[in-house]
Amino acid sequence: MPSRTGSHSPAGTGKSLPERGLLLLMVLVLLEGSVLPLGAASSPDISHQKNVDNHKVEHEKNYTKKAFPVLDLDYHHIQTPFEISLWVLLASVMKLGFHMIPRLPGIVPESCLLITVGLLVGGLIKLAGEKVPPVLDSQLFFLCLLPPIILDAGYFLPIRPFMENLGTILMFAVVGTLWNAFFIGGLLYAVCQIQPANPSELHQLEILPCLLFGSIISAVDPVAVLAVFEEIHINELLHILVFGESLLNDAVTVVLYHLFEEYSAAGTVTVLDGFLGIISFLVVSLGGILVGAIYGILTAFTSRFTSHTRVIEPLFVFVYSYMAYLSAEMFHLSGIMALIACGAVMRPYVEANISHKSHTTIKYFLKMWSSVSETLIFIFLGVATVDGPHHWNWTFVTVTVILCLVSRVIGVVGLTCVINKFRIVKLTTKDQFIVAYGGMRGAIAFSLGFLLKKEQFPMREMFLTAIITVIFFTVFVQGMTIKPLVELLAVKKKQEAKRSINEEIHTQFLDHLLTGIEDICGHYGHHHWKDKLNRFNKKYVKKCLIAGERSKEPQLIAFYHKMEMKQAIDLVESGGGVNLPSAVPSTVSMQNIQPKKPPPAKPVEKALPKMTKGREEEIRQILRSNLQKTRQRLRSYNRHTLVADPYEDGFSELLIKKQKMIELEKKIQHMNNYLTVPAAPPDSPTMCRARLASGRGTDFKPAQQQRGNKISPDPQAYSSKPAADRVPTIQVDLASPQSPDSVNLMDEFRRADQQEEDQGLMMKPPSGQSGPNRPREEDRGREQQKMTRCLSDPGPSADEEEEDEPFLP
Amino acid sequence: AVGPKGIFRVIERSEQWSVGELEPEDFGAIRELSMNPIGDRIISAFFSPGKETVDFASFVRILAHFHPTETSRSRDGVQPEPANSRTRKLKFAFQLYDQDRDGKISREELLQVLRTMLEMQVTEEQLQSIAERAIQEADLDQDDAISFDEFRKVRGVDLIRDQIDNWEY
Repeated sequence: MPSRTGSHSPAGTGKSLPERGLLLLMVLVLLEGSVLPLGAASSPDISHQKNVDNHKVEHEKNYTKKAFPVLDLDYHHIQTPFEISLWVLLASVMKLGFHMIPRLPGIVPESCLLITVGLLVGGLIKLAGEKVPPVLDSQLFFLCLLPPIILDAGYFLPIRPFMENLGTILMFAVVGTLWNAFFIGGLLYAVCQIQPANPSELHQLEILPCLLFGSIISAVDPVAVLAVFEEIHINELLHILVFGESLLNDAVTVVLYHLFEEYSAAGTVTVLDGFLGIISFLVVSLGGILVGAIYGILTAFTSRFTSHTRVIEPLFVFVYSYMAYLSAEMFHLSGIMALIACGAVMRPYVEANISHKSHTTIKYFLKMWSSVSETLIFIFLGVATVDGPHHWNWTFVTVTVILCLVSRVIGVVGLTCVINKFRIVKLTTKDQFIVAYGGMRGAIAFSLGFLLKKEQFPMREMFLTAIITVIFFTVFVQGMTIKPLVELLAVKKKQEAKRSINEEIHTQFLDHLLTGIEDICGHYGHHHWKDKLNRFNKKYVKKCLIAGERSKEPQLIAFYHKMEMKQAIDLVESGGGVNLPSAVPSTVSMQNIQPKKPPPAKPVEKALPKMTKGREEEIRQILRSNLQKTRQRLRSYNRHTLVADPYEDGFSELLIKKQKMIELEKKIQHMNNYLTVPAAPPDSPTMCRARLASGRGTDFKPAQQQRGNKISPDPQAYSSKPAADRVPTIQVDLASPQSPDSVNLMDEFRRADQQEEDQGLMMKPPSGQSGPNRPREEDRGREQQKMTRCLSDPGPSADEEEEDEPFLP
Repeated sequence: AVGPKGIFRVIERSEQWSVGELEPEDFGAIRELSMNPIGDRIISAFFSPGKETVDFASFVRILAHFHPTETSRSRDGVQPEPANSRTRKLKFAFQLYDQDRDGKISREELLQVLRTMLEMQVTEEQLQSIAERAIQEADLDQDDAISFDEFRKVRGVDLIRDQIDNWEY
């Protein structure tokens, strides 16, 4: 469930009055601004036109020189984009404003506030005497405002709960909506006919327009549901039930709407038409899904080749999805289902192909657009309410509202009785209540009503008024009370736990188990088909749609990789003062970036060229220092010193280097057969860490061993060096936390004495050694510096050849 | 639920049924099961340790684990815990991990499970890392293995409980 947590940051209690005043002022200015251009639109236009005419005429007669216009007002030129931008800006500023008011967002759902704002703006516009732009007319709403919201929902749809509850969702969506439509339409007609003595206008209402009205008003609206449910955080099951229903009932609505609209002119609907309607429903829904799936696969396929142009990756996702929507709408198929199918199908493949940044971009763009769209929709609802010609008929409206509620309750309860026979996890009464209560109507119903032609439906205004009333009722009354009711009934809330690796493992394990049991019983159930689909996916589809090595990556590994990446990024952001919590994470991540060929056998030790001891020590130094250096770099960049976010790219390099070091070191170990350690195996993570940390011990092992030194160092030892007459050395102990500040400070000292300060912060290997080692250190240091210069990545300036040149001239 | 239909299908598949007992090879004849990564574990779960064959009664008893949990049934302390209670189901799953039946999932056992599930597509180091992490997350008493209680408490297993309740077969 996309949670727009960005908009729910706790309102600051300490907002000062001037700030609020400023915000209010801005809002007022914007409101005025949105009204004035509408007024200003008419006059300059005309006068401009006249000017041009005059000018032309005059020009033909004789050229009278006019003063060159230094400053000119040409509103007409930019009118449309300007107004659009103003509306969007208004919506966004409103959103900002709400969360500054302290307690309001908790009590009143955002949608209510937005409708109120819309009402205000609509009122203002009317007062200014201007014509309200018919913003909820079909084009703008269905083509521009609705798709982002649906795409956002579809792309982030939690597939597993959705599929598990698909039967239930479909029942509610199809059967429930049909029931609602016929119940409301039929009863309305009956009610309209019941006053024979006092013939009112209602008697003119035929059965078919009633049914049409019923079908318009019966559909649960995804926008409204999203807006309200997002704030109440109920458990996943209920959320997916109501939300899934609101998405899937689009097909039913489309078919019913067109059916009744077509035939209300004719006046009768035969059985054949009904039959055709059913077929049409199947075509609409399945066709929509098919179109969406095709575009989804196209997107996935395209994303396979985007490794060189990462920048436009999000564009493909958006444009292909929009085209899916438009194509479906072109054939009068269900555009909403197409969008959902497109998003859900493309997601696993696209996410395997695109870069991390593109993923973030997609996520935030979708959230942004859907948020703005939703805001605009609600505001326009308010505006259109003020504007539209209303025809209030007490009977009609009240009966509609009551019938909506009643039919929803009956529908949900009745359907649940049937559904519960097939479900293992039954829906309780509480669940049923929430599902029934959560059936909100929204802007889609209004737009559909708006689309009706006045000539065909003389009762159009009455319909619209009733629709608006129902919408207001559900959004305001139900929206505001659902949160306290959820608390009151102690409905299970959403669990905030993140998926853990254990969960992944066990889920997969249980899937296999259940599939196996089904096979034993010979029963081709749920799990059997899921397993078959997974195999097909792995064998054929993934190879086509995912680029390169990632296509072979099992899901568990992908998940693990993601988790480690997240953790690593968190680690970096928090200043790196934390232990590396688990086994060498970089190893695993690295396997994915540089995939190994999968030979299950142990990697064969290649025969490395014979190395002299000296060389080998060098290499050790290099490895160690580079590792330490990069680690050091990590540390010094904490939240306070870091300006931008370099770690997207830098980190993977880091991991690459680290991996290379570890591998190289391991190979050296193997080859030279050094006994490095008492307890842990030489290449175990703890040892790597310890080796880096201790400085003593394995660093100068070769030297010590040359003298037959039998000291086996304690790997965890953290020795403080006698730094009397030497350059202060810094011991970076990865296994224990060290505050970034102290490290930074010491670095400063070091830098003052080091020549290679442009290498970044370089670490001289800790040198608390006994005397005989000292002379070695110099040339080792020099060699090491030479090597590090070659190996370090942001190239040091080539002119720094003189190692003995003092830093300060 | 495993009704008569399910059992009949099993009987159909097994020609040895007339003998009255099943052997591992009979299970092996089921094609899909051989493709299942943990197929052999499932098969061995039917056979009590040491026994080479399984008779009908034991077979059904094992399958009874997969009957939907009836949480509404009231249980007095006298009745033995029914085979399909949640705990028994979890225990069954746990035993599939814990092949040597010592009551703990050791790292080696976890590694084996991962190895079979991931089917040779990953390197040894990756497996080690994953197993390490899984044990770290679950292991509360720091004995480097997952006992049954820890298994139940693992955060993810809560969510799996819904799945377990959904077991139909």
